[in-house]
Amino acid sequence: MPVFLHTADWQIGKLFGQFDADEAALLAEERFAAVEHIAALATAHAVDAVLVAGDVFDAQTVTERCIHRLFHALRGYSGPWLLLPGNHDAALAESVWTRAERLAAVPSNVHLCLRAEVLRLDALRVAVLPAPLTQRNTHADLTEWFDAADTPPGWLRVGLAHGSVQGILAEDIDSANPIAAGRAARAHLDYLALGDWHGTRQIDAHTWYAGTPESDRFRANASGQVLRVVLGAPGTPPQVSALASGRYRWHDSAATLQVASDLDLLLAQLAGYGADDVVQLAVSGRCDLAGHRRLQQAVEQARGRARSLLADLSALQLEPTLDDIEALAADGYINEVIGELQAAQHGADLARAEAARDALALLAGLLDSRRGARHPGSAGGGQ
Amino acid sequence: MKLTRLRIEQLRQFRAPFEIRDFAPGLNLFSGPNEAGKSTLVAAIRAAFFERHRSGAVDDLRPWGDSAAAPTVELDFELGGQPCRLVKSFLARKRCELRIGTQGLDGAEAEDRLAELLGFQHAGKGASKAEHWGIPGLLWIQQGAAQELREAVGHATDHLRSALEASLGEVAASGGDDLLASVQAQRSELLTEAGGRPRGPYKDALEREAALAATLGGLDAAIAHYRQRVDALASLRRAHAADELEQPWVDCRRRQHEAAERLQAIQAQQDSLAAEGQRAEAAERRAALLRSQLEAWAREDQALAARAAAQAEALAARDAAAAPLAHWQARQEGAARELDAARAALRQARQQHARAQLARDAAAAAARAQACARQLAEAAGAREALLAVQRAAAASAIPAAELKTLRTLERQLAEVHIQRDAAATRLAWVLQADCALRLGEATLSGSGEIRLTAPASLELPGLGRLEIAPGGGSDLATLDARGDELADRRRTLLARLGLPDLAAAEARELEHSRLQQQLAAAQATLQALAPQGVDALGAEHAALQARADELARALADAGGEGAGDGGDKVSAAGPAPTAGDTPPLSVDQAEAAEQAAAHTLAAIQGERHRAQLAAADAASRLDAATRELAAARALCADPVRAARIAQSSAELTDALAERKALGARIEALQQHIAAARPDILQQDVERFRATAEELETQHRVRRDQLMRLEVELQTEGAQGLEERRAECARDHAQAARRAGELRRRAAALDLLLGLLQDKRRALTRRLQAPLQKHLNRYLQLLFPQASLEIDENLTPGPLTRGVESGDFEQLSFGAREQMGVISRLAYADLLAEAGRPTLIILDDALVHSDAERLAQMKRVLFDAATRHQILLFTCHPANWRDLGVAARSIDDLRAGAAQ
Repeated sequence: MPVFLHTADWQIGKLFGQFDADEAALLAEERFAAVEHIAALATAHAVDAVLVAGDVFDAQTVTERCIHRLFHALRGYSGPWLLLPGNHDAALAESVWTRAERLAAVPSNVHLCLRAEVLRLDALRVAVLPAPLTQRNTHADLTEWFDAADTPPGWLRVGLAHGSVQGILAEDIDSANPIAAGRAARAHLDYLALGDWHGTRQIDAHTWYAGTPESDRFRANASGQVLRVVLGAPGTPPQVSALASGRYRWHDSAATLQVASDLDLLLAQLAGYGADDVVQLAVSGRCDLAGHRRLQQAVEQARGRARSLLADLSALQLEPTLDDIEALAADGYINEVIGELQAAQHGADLARAEAARDALALLAGLLDSRRGARHPGSAGGGQ
Repeated sequence: MKLTRLRIEQLRQFRAPFEIRDFAPGLNLFSGPNEAGKSTLVAAIRAAFFERHRSGAVDDLRPWGDSAAAPTVELDFELGGQPCRLVKSFLARKRCELRIGTQGLDGAEAEDRLAELLGFQHAGKGASKAEHWGIPGLLWIQQGAAQELREAVGHATDHLRSALEASLGEVAASGGDDLLASVQAQRSELLTEAGGRPRGPYKDALEREAALAATLGGLDAAIAHYRQRVDALASLRRAHAADELEQPWVDCRRRQHEAAERLQAIQAQQDSLAAEGQRAEAAERRAALLRSQLEAWAREDQALAARAAAQAEALAARDAAAAPLAHWQARQEGAARELDAARAALRQARQQHARAQLARDAAAAAARAQACARQLAEAAGAREALLAVQRAAAASAIPAAELKTLRTLERQLAEVHIQRDAAATRLAWVLQADCALRLGEATLSGSGEIRLTAPASLELPGLGRLEIAPGGGSDLATLDARGDELADRRRTLLARLGLPDLAAAEARELEHSRLQQQLAAAQATLQALAPQGVDALGAEHAALQARADELARALADAGGEGAGDGGDKVSAAGPAPTAGDTPPLSVDQAEAAEQAAAHTLAAIQGERHRAQLAAADAASRLDAATRELAAARALCADPVRAARIAQSSAELTDALAERKALGARIEALQQHIAAARPDILQQDVERFRATAEELETQHRVRRDQLMRLEVELQTEGAQGLEERRAECARDHAQAARRAGELRRRAAALDLLLGLLQDKRRALTRRLQAPLQKHLNRYLQLLFPQASLEIDENLTPGPLTRGVESGDFEQLSFGAREQMGVISRLAYADLLAEAGRPTLIILDDALVHSDAERLAQMKRVLFDAATRHQILLFTCHPANWRDLGVAARSIDDLRAGAAQ
């Protein structure tokens, strides 16, 4: 019974511009680690081959160092690797694959599926039908040829493709690189290994998206794993199980503060983030200056603990209470300014409302620090 | 605040304690000359409030040379209705005690309390400076500083505001200006003061973002270009592979070769067309040749007819020419006869003449001989021999001229004979033995030869007669005539000489020569034997005798009968029987007649000769015509010629037929070639060749392009464009985030600053109003109808008097001093209304004011003193005499204290 690891969408060479440079570098670095991890898993599970369903590289013109690093990362598994070009690394006339071959970076146990032709794994009596992208995007179904592809009788048929299955993934209905639903059945595939969808997903009994082995975005669910696929007799559904392969957990979090306890819950959530968390936090609603201060402190602390934290507090309105203002020792016309800024937060002019929120926070900070300077003993304690 | 008592000790020149009691609640005027201690008193009050008691920066308070001094100031004053006492010692004994009402404060606490109450600050370190002085700095006017208002107000503004807020309600903000300054400073980091344009880190961030965006755009363009070329590479490869597979140029080459072959075939046909054309031309030429041959033969036949006609014509011409000849022949014969007669007559005449001459000579000679003989008889004798010789010699003598003439005649005659022989017609004959022919008078038989010099008639017995006319007829006749003439002359000469012929003459010449020699010898003998004269006579006689004899003989020989008959009678037996009737002609006449006859004959001979020539010519023409006719006949009659004519006719027919056949074939070939369109075929060849070459070139170019593109893409791919783009995009995103953050911060700061400034300005406006009111009160006293504006910093702005308007700084020094004072009084009013302590100190102020202004200022001060305590120090007490209060002299006070 042949056993494969099915993975895809490694996106090697991807950089994460939304993060600070050092964080982005760590995230990019982790993608190589994920590949090494896959190699280790393949060896540990003694699989017969690793199927990579496209988008190994994030771009065609990555650096030579990047190419060498990727193929070097495969050394942990000496069995056959089947690498399929996807839309990011399509097998163009001049591509990352031709470069890799020119650089002699491709080890002998790595097979690049650059052409749509049957690949025989004789020892396993398995015929692999790859559907490599030879254009960046195509609107033709490249798996069409699977239907009529001739394979030795009695052999298992395994498809390898990259694209979106039609009618299954709602947001990809009109996307490029379509794959007809039911391709596995029509082409009598025992297994169809798909890439492009970054989350693990089963399409039918014989068809799976492996998802990316290391999450690279906030919206993909069930990413960060590879699939272990055990094939039975021809025609029978494979046994598929997911193996965790990723390190970083990507959280896309949104909170709306209405009452004081909302803030407490959010702070508890922030306190829970650790070194393997990549967080995107958007806070809306309203809070008083003290609460805002606590939130900011908590965000800074969480930023120190988590791998990365993107906090967007721009939608959070500041509602200074009388206590706040008294605590700030704001009097006279400064008090008037505070009142006006507070009112401007709700204005129709969104830019001015945002500026007003920022100005209010800024003013609160200035007053707070002044008060601290004037009354060192009583700063931060609350009155 | 009302000061009630001042006491100082160990302070500058006040080493001993000095005390001023009973300060008035309003105006207090202190006077004293320079160095009296007015300024020391002011300095003591300032130090008591402004300087920390622990300050080390108050050495100026120390009395000169007293290092152990402890300068002490003791002040009693009333503040907020409560009596207060401040005791402050410096340097040697640092102490500060403050009692407010019943509350007592010590040290720094006391000092801070005072600062808070009066509205000033202490210096953190060192001596107190103007910026710390706050409200007292404004109200306590130092010597010569009344006009320097703006700075003092600036240092006091904040205190003024907070101090005034009580009267204005809760509108002022504590520390508002600090906050404002802080916000402004933070905003200034990001935005320019003037235009609110980005600066500093904000500007840097924007620029970095823009630069990265530009880089990103460049990389995007480069990547797009790269991708485009990758696509181009793919399509090139497909095209190249398709080319390799299809090799379209091969088909083109094949079609080119096919067209070329067809073209070659057509060209072969064109060659054969040319060959056929040449053959047609050859046939044409042959036909023309044959035609010309046939025409030549036709011309020969025509020539034959022409010759026959010509011959007939020549025959007629010859006959025509023969008739004049006969005529002239007859005439010639007649003329010849006449000439002969003339010549006979001439000859006769000459003979007669000669005979007569001879006869006369003979007679003369005989006479002379007879005379001489007589003489000679007398000389006979010894001269006998000589005489014999002489006779003999004389007998043999012939005149040399005559001999010469004779010789000439003989030679000429011989030449004539020779010429005649040469010109004569030679007639030779060989006849059979029994045959004879008659030639003229002669009969010819056997064989022989004769030369005919004159036409002769040859009788052919039984056959007819041959008329033979020698060719050179005229010559012969001439020669005959000349020969006859010459013979006549010779005969005459010979007759005269008495010699038969020339040979005899020659012989006698030889004899004579011999006799001459004998005679010479005999004469020599005679000369020797006999004297001359006799001999000469004898010789003469002999000669004469001999001559006479000779003459007699000659006469005898010439016609002795005539001579014999007596001379002058002409014998009837003369040669001219016709002359019988005619008188004998003279020689001249005879010669003339002879000559005329000769001429006539010559003329007739000429005519005859011409006729003869014409006849001969006609005959020769006839001969020629006859010959030509014969030749032509012979030519035309040749049987070979007829055969050749027939053959040529046949050949001509063949050639024409061949020419026609070739013409048909040539036309067919031309049509075939024209139908095949060799020009189009040539174009096809060219087109296919060009297409193939183009395709091959394209293939080659594409291959080169492919290689070049591959290398370029490989090179560019190695640069990691997209990775660089990703990095750039990351940096750009970060830069954009930072720029966005700074933008937000700048916007917030801008908003905040604007709001703060707006609020502060509004507040200031509310503060300005009462200040304006107080200021105007004093201003009207000083400058009626003038107005002074107060700016937001509560400092006096432009002063307007009527239409004039000018800034405070532009006023005269005196005016500024006055304005400084009234402004301070106005602040004091403002503070007093707010319930704040006010104490006004004027140290030697208004010294630059003229009397009129000073008078006004006194009214102002007097008015102000109703609300504030005023301490006025002056060194010109006279100036202030009408102030309403008595001036107290410092010196007097010191004297009092010392007591």
